[in-house]
Amino acid sequence: MVDQTRREFLKLGLAAAASAAMASGIEIPMFGSQNSSIQTQLNNANTKIANLNARVNTVVGFLSLSVAEQSLLEKIVETIIPTDADPGAKEAGVIYFIDRALAGDYGQSANMFMDGPHILPRIPASATTPLSVNPTLSWATNPYIPGASTSPISYIGGGVATPGSGTQGITASPRVGSGINYQYPLNMREFWRVGLVALQAYANSAYGGNFETLSSANQLLLLQDLWANKPSSFSNILPSDFAYELVFMTWAGFLMDPIYGGNQNMVGWTYTGFNGVNFGNFYGEGQDQKALMVATTPTRLKPASLAQYQQQASGGA
Amino acid sequence: MPTTITETPADVVILGVGYMSGVVAAELSIASLNNNKNYKVVAITKGPYWDYVNDFSTTKYDEWGVGLGRKYDSPLPLQSTTIRNTPYQFALPVRRYTMPIQYHALGHGVGGAAQHYGGTMGRQGPWGYQMLSQTNTRYPPGTIDTINPHNDLKDWPLQYYQYEPYYVQWENAHGLCGNYNGSTNNPGSDSSGYPWMSQNYKLPPHPLTPAAQLFQSTVQSAPFNYHPFPHVNALASQPYVNQYGVPVNPCVYDGYCGGPCDYACETGAKANAAYRTIPAAMKSGNFTLVVNSFIFRLDTDPTSGLVTAARYYDPQGNVHIQQGKVFFNGMWGYNMIRIMLLSGVGAPYVWNSDPTMVSGTVGRGMTNGYSPYKGTNVSGTLSSIGGNAYPAGNAGGGSVDIYDLMDDNFDHTGLGFIGGSQIGVGGYPGGGPGNITFAGGVSSASMGGTFKATQKDKYLQTKTVLSSTPFAPDLPTTDNYVDLDPHYTDIYGDPLARLTYDWTPNMYIGATYLANKVKDIFTKMGASSVTVSNTVLPGAVHNDWWGHHLRGGCRIGTDPTWSVWDKWNQCWSPTVKTPFNIFGAGEITNTSGDTVPSGTHVAGPQSYRAAEGIKQYLGLMTPGLVP
Repeated sequence: MVDQTRREFLKLGLAAAASAAMASGIEIPMFGSQNSSIQTQLNNANTKIANLNARVNTVVGFLSLSVAEQSLLEKIVETIIPTDADPGAKEAGVIYFIDRALAGDYGQSANMFMDGPHILPRIPASATTPLSVNPTLSWATNPYIPGASTSPISYIGGGVATPGSGTQGITASPRVGSGINYQYPLNMREFWRVGLVALQAYANSAYGGNFETLSSANQLLLLQDLWANKPSSFSNILPSDFAYELVFMTWAGFLMDPIYGGNQNMVGWTYTGFNGVNFGNFYGEGQDQKALMVATTPTRLKPASLAQYQQQASGGA
Repeated sequence: MPTTITETPADVVILGVGYMSGVVAAELSIASLNNNKNYKVVAITKGPYWDYVNDFSTTKYDEWGVGLGRKYDSPLPLQSTTIRNTPYQFALPVRRYTMPIQYHALGHGVGGAAQHYGGTMGRQGPWGYQMLSQTNTRYPPGTIDTINPHNDLKDWPLQYYQYEPYYVQWENAHGLCGNYNGSTNNPGSDSSGYPWMSQNYKLPPHPLTPAAQLFQSTVQSAPFNYHPFPHVNALASQPYVNQYGVPVNPCVYDGYCGGPCDYACETGAKANAAYRTIPAAMKSGNFTLVVNSFIFRLDTDPTSGLVTAARYYDPQGNVHIQQGKVFFNGMWGYNMIRIMLLSGVGAPYVWNSDPTMVSGTVGRGMTNGYSPYKGTNVSGTLSSIGGNAYPAGNAGGGSVDIYDLMDDNFDHTGLGFIGGSQIGVGGYPGGGPGNITFAGGVSSASMGGTFKATQKDKYLQTKTVLSSTPFAPDLPTTDNYVDLDPHYTDIYGDPLARLTYDWTPNMYIGATYLANKVKDIFTKMGASSVTVSNTVLPGAVHNDWWGHHLRGGCRIGTDPTWSVWDKWNQCWSPTVKTPFNIFGAGEITNTSGDTVPSGTHVAGPQSYRAAEGIKQYLGLMTPGLVP
């Protein structure tokens, strides 16, 4: 398990680089009385290099987030789940969870229906400007569909569009659930890229500096602004849509199985008292799961992860 | 280079392989059930065959992969659906599976949606089959039209007692757990059986939780004097062998079951076609299972109107033509409708703002069979009982239900709604872990240290939060329906199904009444802070679901002008050039029903009806309706 965050690694890396710069700038002393001091410096430098070498094998890098996105998003997730007496988003490695997700199916919208036309759903039902839709009618002349080539598309109140006749106005939009709320012509990786840039721009225009430089109180206020759709300009996405994604993914990174890169050392599960795949006897506790499911008082179990479960199932220790 | 491949013709071709198709597959392929005739049966489904040991047992405990990734479910890029609330709107496509409300995916593969459901069962009683005529008999004329504008509620073609033998067969095939259903005629102990049921469920119920036991003892007593019974479900409580000789493993109670997120079962204890009926068909020697194949069209004979073949794509894009004598449409929900609309089989429903001017049947009468997100809720806190909220047990097991607040078991005079809701309390914590639904349900309040503190040790509970979101049944109207979307297509270029749906008043008017009834129960149980919240007002409600638990839309009925299928679940519409050789059964062939007994359980008897009808049809000298 990784035991330090990316920023600690960066600090360590900077310190090592500074040492190296100093070392190269130091004149080689000529007198024996200074040898022990030089030796000490060299020993210290060597120790740091050895430490760095050891950590190179355990430090986690990024697959998707840019350097600028890393520092911004790190502060966002730490605002959403701060570290207090207990671990927060930082210790859980939430940023790694999000990075992995953005680099994979989630970021690619691999399991999303992404075909056009893309129409934003939040147009008020009372809007006087109709939606403009171009019925491409790719299927309307499909010979398999009886009568398709003669069937016009009709919207009551909006007139009738015959195949190939161009745009068609529709005057009301549906008010339905969240699965239709995401109608952007962007995959999730693009959505996050655009959203993070817009958030940083809003931090500067409304709070006078980059998000990372704001007080923690203002960082929280800014995120609440997004939920309230306060930014008047947000790269053509609804600020609350992006705020939802930020908070959803941060909590997911705190609480999903560590196999996805977050919830490191199962700190999220320990915090909430969640068992993972320990059903009462994973570590030999001897609890009966049928008793646990009808218990009247809670029993804290040390959580176990999917990887541990698979290791045990395959006969491993 | 994709090519067209003509398969060996079969006697029976089954479209989609879920619960209902499994029954038809077993009943038609086993020679001893067919006077030793060896009917050749071919079943085609778009997903894989899931092997619970290798596919589920070590990878299912995964909220992220199951919850958002939907790794066992139907991929949206393959096909989605569009939805709107009224015919005056543009329908938007469902683009993603999103917590906490849009996570119910279509099934994918053998077993269908029942691979991931919670196993909830429970018969529909006599009233549910005659909602219209019973209401007209007991209440003043015009009652139903006042309650349900543009009413399209109809009676079933058969009554409950006629379905009862089929219920028994279906319950035996799948090994349901329970101890009868309650009724107003039951004695308080509920030990004497249930007058609607000729025999008890095959397996005993799962152990009851302390909260369920408290609920049971409370509602049995005055002033309620209700008739509680253990929750009926399809998660085997003991080892079992069904009438086809298929052995069943019992539940191992390790959570990650159904409910939020929708998990798969790693022991096969959760009943579905893959582990109950399809194995019997496989063993018959007369059955061919075609997986990973997407049915896109039914061919018809232009002269007779009969269905001649099903066309499907294999994963390489080749087109296969599967001819058959008789076809069974067992596809889920709107896909059953969509394949018929795409193929010109049956009479497509054509909406009109004037309910007397509507026509057609395929897509007509769609209702929502499940509780709406943000519906009227009642909750309270029991400080006497704590427990574990982390996964333990299974979905739905451990709870106690009552039917006393549903059907016409209480006087509805002046209430403004009909029917009611099954009320259940005290399920195990183990349906699904709930981390992903929690994360998906975040709001502006879900940030910062103060909120974080509310999450500490939340799975270790020193008290129990009771919560219920009851609602009365959604009633069919001429304004809620399914047709083909004019703008969006599936991956092969065929139009998606379009749902036009909004709540009907019966649902939310009933919800408020029922929530206040449940409030009285929670209070009597000793709960504190019992409150009814989020009361749904007319005009404020819209569909949050996109189509799981659809009921109706492709109904059986008494008249081919409004129903697709007749009393044998045989197609009888349109009345000229009728495709007599296609049968169908599923939740959406249910004519109507009350809340919440499982739409699947109610559909089950129809699958046996259809199987019997198909057997008779194969013996007819000329194509026509089975008498």
